Amino acid sequence: MRKRQRKVKDPLLISLIEALSEDRVTDGASARRIYSKDGSVMEGGRAGIICFPEDTSEVAKCVSIANEHDREFVTRGAGTGLAGGSVPCNDPIMIVTTRMNKIIDVDLEKRIAWVQPGVVNLDLSNSLKGTGLHFAPDPSSQQACTIGGNVANNSGGPHCLAYGVTNSHVAALEVVLPDASIVQMGSTEGEACGYDLRGVFVGGEGTLGVATQIAVRLTEDPPEIATLLLDFSKITDAAETVSQIIANGVLPAALELMDRNVVAAVEPFAKAGYPLDAEAVLIAEVDGLPDGVAQEVDIISEIAMNNGAREVRIALDQEERERIWKGRKSAFGAIAKIKPDYYLHDTVIPRGRLAEVVEKVYEIAERYDLLVMNVFHAGDGNLHPLLVFDARIPGTLEKVRQAGEEIVRISLEAGGVLSGEHGIGLEKQRFMSQQFSERDLEAQDALRRSFDPDNRSNPHKVLPSGASCGELNSLNEIPEGIWV
Amino acid sequence: MSGNTETDLSKELFLLEPEALNACVSCGLCLPYCPTYRVTGDERMSPRGRIALMRSAGTNEFHPTDEWIHSMDTCVQCRGCETACPSAVPFGELMSDTKKALASVRKLPLAVRIGLSILNKPLLLAGATFLIGTLQKLGFMRNSPYIPSGVPLLRRKFKTTYSSVEPVLFTGCVMEAWTPWVHDAALKTLDFFGVNVAISGKRVGCCGALHEHSGLRSVSVKMAENVIDGIPTTGPVLVNSAGCGAMLKEYGKLLGTEEAKRFSERVFDVHEWIAENYQLPKRTEKKERVVIQDPCHLRHVQNSHQYVREVLSPLVEIIELPDEGLCCGAGGAFSVSQKELSTEIRKLKSIALTEVTTEGEKYRVVSANPGCVTHLQAAGFEIKHPLEVVAEYLNQISESDEMDRF
Repeated sequence: MRKRQRKVKDPLLISLIEALSEDRVTDGASARRIYSKDGSVMEGGRAGIICFPEDTSEVAKCVSIANEHDREFVTRGAGTGLAGGSVPCNDPIMIVTTRMNKIIDVDLEKRIAWVQPGVVNLDLSNSLKGTGLHFAPDPSSQQACTIGGNVANNSGGPHCLAYGVTNSHVAALEVVLPDASIVQMGSTEGEACGYDLRGVFVGGEGTLGVATQIAVRLTEDPPEIATLLLDFSKITDAAETVSQIIANGVLPAALELMDRNVVAAVEPFAKAGYPLDAEAVLIAEVDGLPDGVAQEVDIISEIAMNNGAREVRIALDQEERERIWKGRKSAFGAIAKIKPDYYLHDTVIPRGRLAEVVEKVYEIAERYDLLVMNVFHAGDGNLHPLLVFDARIPGTLEKVRQAGEEIVRISLEAGGVLSGEHGIGLEKQRFMSQQFSERDLEAQDALRRSFDPDNRSNPHKVLPSGASCGELNSLNEIPEGIWV
Repeated sequence: MSGNTETDLSKELFLLEPEALNACVSCGLCLPYCPTYRVTGDERMSPRGRIALMRSAGTNEFHPTDEWIHSMDTCVQCRGCETACPSAVPFGELMSDTKKALASVRKLPLAVRIGLSILNKPLLLAGATFLIGTLQKLGFMRNSPYIPSGVPLLRRKFKTTYSSVEPVLFTGCVMEAWTPWVHDAALKTLDFFGVNVAISGKRVGCCGALHEHSGLRSVSVKMAENVIDGIPTTGPVLVNSAGCGAMLKEYGKLLGTEEAKRFSERVFDVHEWIAENYQLPKRTEKKERVVIQDPCHLRHVQNSHQYVREVLSPLVEIIELPDEGLCCGAGGAFSVSQKELSTEIRKLKSIALTEVTTEGEKYRVVSANPGCVTHLQAAGFEIKHPLEVVAEYLNQISESDEMDRF
């Protein structure tokens, strides 16, 4: 970063510069603009002063200064979140963790790695190549997202079906609490005594403090992997296949479904050889000991064929497997091939009702004359319907908002929950009261207040707080006829 | 920046292709593949951030401050983000157009301006070459990060008469003046396969890539026209510098004429052309381990990096870097204009290089672009153009004559 000499008058800025260094603190207009957005279409306020701390003590200093100056703060990693979790409301201090990107210690025997929160998810697994271990949570954005962000959102990913979400892979945390004190939660030596504060913190979406060091559990690479690509002419057949696979006692490592529109968007980029004429493509991956894998491949193939699968393709080598996954993991990013904007939901429904709910999602989109693209973690019933649209067409955003609300409603009615893995952030706050009673929400708020009595750490998120600061990007700052 | 300049810049930037800007959904998958984001962690120096700032030019919130301009100036234009982008955002075009807008309202740094103006003036280039060659003989400028060592005093004379169908080797500007041995190696290799080539030589000169990357659009357009006019053949045009090759392949887009499009279609990276037509005999003795460092404009722009492997694989044991083609920080004029960042990025490449080699191992690196070669050489790596390694081997077999050539 460039050093630039200039006269600084803002006392808050002066304190932060003294705490870090001039080149790692900025209130520049460009920075404030960029750090006001994440990977979602949510808009909130505007980033105030942006800080790039490099270690725990610097984070503690930032938090302490925020307290002294009575300011709010928001922690942000790579900004790939899809629910506006790191989008600022008002003009908070932004604590950006991307320079806290060191792998501090890897203990292969204990299978624990201590990392800073800014370590990129895939970088950790790549650095472990050759050790026979990896970090299991693999969100679609794993090439870019940080482990700190995974902890904040309790992130999932295709392989969390069998391996569990981030919470199962965090042994301990070092946290800077909203009062700037530094504590450790959890333990790398078996279970910690007392309440499981680590479990509370994971998934806290930055409202309970800042994780500054994370002890993650490392998972053994499976001895054998088989990746199957199943091709269906009806999406409901694919959904039925999913239910039956698990009902038959097979728990694949991953079970992912993509519809025809998604396949059309990603195939040109991933070149995975997805069938472009299929209504649905199901990716099933099984792993474990060779005999078990072979048996599970047979069971899955048989169930698929019985449910009308047109073809069962088994990836022949690592390269083919990687291409199949590359396509699945670039689904959101490839949307611009179809339309310039997307609005994505993350509800989870009971697996047995997949077929029925997915049909309803298509119906809703049709009723609003919108295009919906379905790509989801089918194995755990986690839907990701993407409403794709061009916000420049007047009235579209309102339709998208309404269709989105209906999708959430039918998911909840089917016995589902609001969010599988993207978090509540700014985006799904307004739905919280549909899922929880007032007393539930009060209890959650009391928990939050016990960590952050002044409501300073990523405030106005997760729990509904009257008027929400965020809204779907209405792109109102852009003059008509200009790009968005 | 003055008010007028701001309006001018805003107007110029309005000309950015709206659909191109729209193609970005801000997913952030590009971030780790951007070298300047990798070393700073600062999104102002990332593709997603830069696009957000380009978009701001259309709003009443446009602040073309030094900070805004710095975000654009620090882009290496490696286009690694394009390879990573599932929505195929044409980031290179957007950045080129942004640089063009910037160049219309302010002057480039003096060192860059001097450098660029020499490239397309053969006499000045010859003078500078003589001066640099002399200084190097006297012991100066031998480890410059910008200029290779061993620059010859005088320009090599190559055959420049064309027959219409035979391949033309595009020899460029500084490459011909400063590292003619790379062209010698290419000629040696092509000769081994019995291919007779002509040389573009000084009547064609510079391709204009560095001018285009600096936003000097009118200059680069003129140079593109000059190159196309200067090579009026119908056969393939072979290029052994990845940066120049990428530029020649994009003349069609740059000029938009049918003639330019036809020209671009017959441009090949030299490895690409060799790999598709010939194969070297397999080396029987123990193969040397060689690390391949892909030039960005070969991998991310031309998507032709695999051909280097095809050409080299009969001769050497190839070691791949684990960094998925992350830029080395050379970036043409970037290493001059953004020295600090350029050095930081090179450190990542050094780390990647130490990861794939065993400690104390003596190894060579190959890279098919003169900029990368000079940049990495300055950090102490032994680095060659891939065809130099090929030529060495061909010399060996012609000396020992132990192999049956065909």
